[in-house]
Amino acid sequence: MAASGNTNQRRHAIGEFLFRHETILLLVLVAEWFYFNSVGRRFGTLDNTFEIMRHSAEIGLLALVMTPIILTGGIDLSVGSLLGLCAILFGKLWRDVGMSLPVAAVCTLLIGALAGGLNAVLIARLRLPALIVTLGTYSLFRGLAEAITRGVDTFTNFPDSFLALGQQHFAGLPTQVWFFLVVTIAIWLLVHRTTFGRSLRAIGFSPEGARYAGLPVERRIAQAYILAGVVSALAAIIYTARLGQAKADAGTGYELFAITAVVLGGTSIFGGIGTVHGTLFGVAAIAVLDNGLVHARQPREMAGMLTGVLLLAALGAGALPKLLAKLRAPRHSSAPPS
Amino acid sequence: MKRFLSLALCASLAILSACNKSPESGSSNASGGKKLTIALMPKSKGNAYFISCKAGADEAAKELNVDLLFDGPTDPDPAKQNEIIENWTTLGVDVIAAACENKEGISTALKKARSKGIKVVTYDSDANPDARDFFVNQATPEGIAETLMDEAARLTDSEGEFAIITASLTAANMNEWRKHIEARLAEKYPKMKLVDTKPCDDLKDKAQAEATNLMSAYPNLKLIMAICSPAVPGAAEAVKQAGKTGAVKVIGLGLPSENRKYVHEGVTQSVVLWKTKDLGYLTIHAAADLANGQLKPGAKEYNAGRLGTLKIEGDSIVLGKPFIFNKDNIDQFDF
Amino acid sequence: MQKYSRELSVAIVLALLLLVMAVAAPAFYDPQPLLSRLAREAPTLIVACGVALVMVAREIDISIGSIFALCGVCAGLLAGSGWPLIAVFGAVVVLGAVLGAMNGALVAGLRLPSIVVTLATMVILREGLRWKQQGAFINLPDAWQWFGLSQRGGQWALIAGALIILAVLAWASRHLAGGRFLYAVGSNAEAARLAGLRPRWITLAVFVFMGALAGLAALLNVVQSPQVDPKSGTGLELKAIAAAVVGGVAVSGGRGNLWGVFVGVLLLACINPALTYLHVEAYWEKAIQGAIILLAVIFDGLRNRRATN
Repeated sequence: MAASGNTNQRRHAIGEFLFRHETILLLVLVAEWFYFNSVGRRFGTLDNTFEIMRHSAEIGLLALVMTPIILTGGIDLSVGSLLGLCAILFGKLWRDVGMSLPVAAVCTLLIGALAGGLNAVLIARLRLPALIVTLGTYSLFRGLAEAITRGVDTFTNFPDSFLALGQQHFAGLPTQVWFFLVVTIAIWLLVHRTTFGRSLRAIGFSPEGARYAGLPVERRIAQAYILAGVVSALAAIIYTARLGQAKADAGTGYELFAITAVVLGGTSIFGGIGTVHGTLFGVAAIAVLDNGLVHARQPREMAGMLTGVLLLAALGAGALPKLLAKLRAPRHSSAPPS
Repeated sequence: MKRFLSLALCASLAILSACNKSPESGSSNASGGKKLTIALMPKSKGNAYFISCKAGADEAAKELNVDLLFDGPTDPDPAKQNEIIENWTTLGVDVIAAACENKEGISTALKKARSKGIKVVTYDSDANPDARDFFVNQATPEGIAETLMDEAARLTDSEGEFAIITASLTAANMNEWRKHIEARLAEKYPKMKLVDTKPCDDLKDKAQAEATNLMSAYPNLKLIMAICSPAVPGAAEAVKQAGKTGAVKVIGLGLPSENRKYVHEGVTQSVVLWKTKDLGYLTIHAAADLANGQLKPGAKEYNAGRLGTLKIEGDSIVLGKPFIFNKDNIDQFDF
Repeated sequence: MQKYSRELSVAIVLALLLLVMAVAAPAFYDPQPLLSRLAREAPTLIVACGVALVMVAREIDISIGSIFALCGVCAGLLAGSGWPLIAVFGAVVVLGAVLGAMNGALVAGLRLPSIVVTLATMVILREGLRWKQQGAFINLPDAWQWFGLSQRGGQWALIAGALIILAVLAWASRHLAGGRFLYAVGSNAEAARLAGLRPRWITLAVFVFMGALAGLAALLNVVQSPQVDPKSGTGLELKAIAAAVVGGVAVSGGRGNLWGVFVGVLLLACINPALTYLHVEAYWEKAIQGAIILLAVIFDGLRNRRATN
């Protein structure tokens, strides 16, 4: 990993920024925890901590997988809709086609990959802007889910062995948390310990530069979107198990929560900068806030407002020192103002 | 810098906690006192219908001296309802009263609450029967659908085309109503035809646009049935602007206050609803008595304070039939 | 030719759609519903023009739906308390501008990414409004509808107003210094700075302008009906951004033409009614809408690919 002094220095500077951002976020998380613990009698219990994890698994998965995409400078607005589409297709494969649940699950993951592949082709091969492509598929996937079920058809009565995935505990933790942990570790390793991850950053900083450096830019971008499709499908299966039903409105609006968590976690929306653990902190900060406000008996609207404030505060905190330094600079130096 | 920021954060949280002290100090939560805590959940926040229910709930809470928690998802979302119910379970409220967006989605959470000793009442729209103790029934889906369909038939002399505007194609209770409307239509009114069903995303402006298009796309349209509350004034405004007042009739489920103007102008013929305040009042009253042991499973009658004695059918407490508001009576109601 | 390829392919898709409608469902062109439909889209057009300019300057604003809702509610409340039209007009535009300035200050002053800032202000404003208003409609005085004009007169006034704004902005963005500054900053902020512009002031200005336009659009929406729905404007940001991007505005800044945005707004506004007229079941609406958006850009993508090969 060692490089010349110059790039080392740059990496050091970037690392420091990230470190600072994540420290702030961690402080926020701790402060949230202590505050809610002092207000809500049962907030700090282990049970409640598990509940928080259980409820944030799906959005957490979407946020994790959004991180590599945003690292390339892209965005994926279709993940929430894809979750809905995969959920009802999973139900349909099981109930109407008559597949066994594991087979249906595998097929659902494949469908997720295929849907992600559609985004990938349009964005990577045709070089269309990710924002508009995924805005189109956001509408397309949700629309397909509604058309297939006519909005009405709801898949229920899943066997208990399957529902256990979303509602029971396994080896001390809620079952889906294990899935979440595995995906977290896999994506962390992928982004931070492989050349794949490094090429994503390179693309995020400068796609042209990455191309000249010999990186397979198109393929890397495509892989990031396909990965998002697969993990959205996994989130759909977990969602279905947690609620015990699959319906066309599953996951409405989740894309915004996921994006919020990623940028709150310090990933630059312009690409190139960001970490998976930052995203994890982002997800946690929002989930704890969401849960804690119920224990503090605050209305739901407050959760939305405070998430917005948190977002501004976390980003502003990173920008403030630079701004202050800039304001201070002309006073101390005699250099003429530019 | 870092220290400054964390200080600022702590300070802002402290301010928040100070703001929070007032509602918290009165509760039984920390002291373990006798005062009941009842959590009331609407399908979504910021919905005028549920705000009207809450007015009645507040009245009952005051009368019975119980703590009322009112919260729900900001948009109708079964997953979020499920999550809030589970949070309430952990929080340890005494009774949960919920209007269910979606039967299956919420029932798992309600069952879990019951297994922890929390009493559960549903109102407005029911969960699975094994997930709650009682259902406060303002009107069955069949009742609502039949009232609407019969009213539509009465206004159109049982023949001609009509269209439905709904909130979204996935809204569970509206889909239930639509199912029963279509059943009633097939059974009793063979000369009427449902030509189209459009979603309006619970927005008045979109309902207006949809109604405008429907009237011109189906020139023989006789009636628009709006089954979510913002759609009724939206459809009425579209009919008025198209100059088809009276020629295309408007009926729907909605609050009198939002429709008074159109009912008087003769654009909207009738609005179907129940007394929402009474629904909220009854829900809290029943919830409190359920926790006190005054309302037991198997009871045949229930004495609900100012509402008098009400009948219990099976495990649903019946508030009464849906009410039809029209030109003659709409001014008597202030919600 | 190459320069306007996106605009052209979208215009072709729109023309095809209109042709299909003319053959399959001529009732689509009945004057009364058509006029209503166009009047309804007038606010969307204004907002889309605004967001297109923001995107030309290489920023984005997704809080416009919330600003729109807030301004609409304020217009309703002020009108209800007896303010005259012109005063409410001023107040709402100023309120929009102030909210826009808030976004602009955070973006330009603290150099925060605009998508994040406006994501935050979007939820803060929307949830705050929900908290305060609890979804209750606001009744307007009778004389307010259509600015006190007749219905038809009011609708023409709305459409004319939106078109004048479009034309003025389209001209100004090409021929006035201020407009060209936007393109300069959006193409390359550093180069613009070296050329003597002040990119951050320009960024601030474009957000303020966007806010004012959102306020104006809210007012034009409010006068179309006697009640204000505090939820109005939900999803407006996606609609406006989709119209702008479909109409050829580049997300990466520096490129875009307001006439293209106009075509984009028309295309998106036609899809839903067209499906009603073609008697397509509503279940397919979203899917078809998504497919048409994709189709419009795929056209363009394929042409570019062929051109580069």
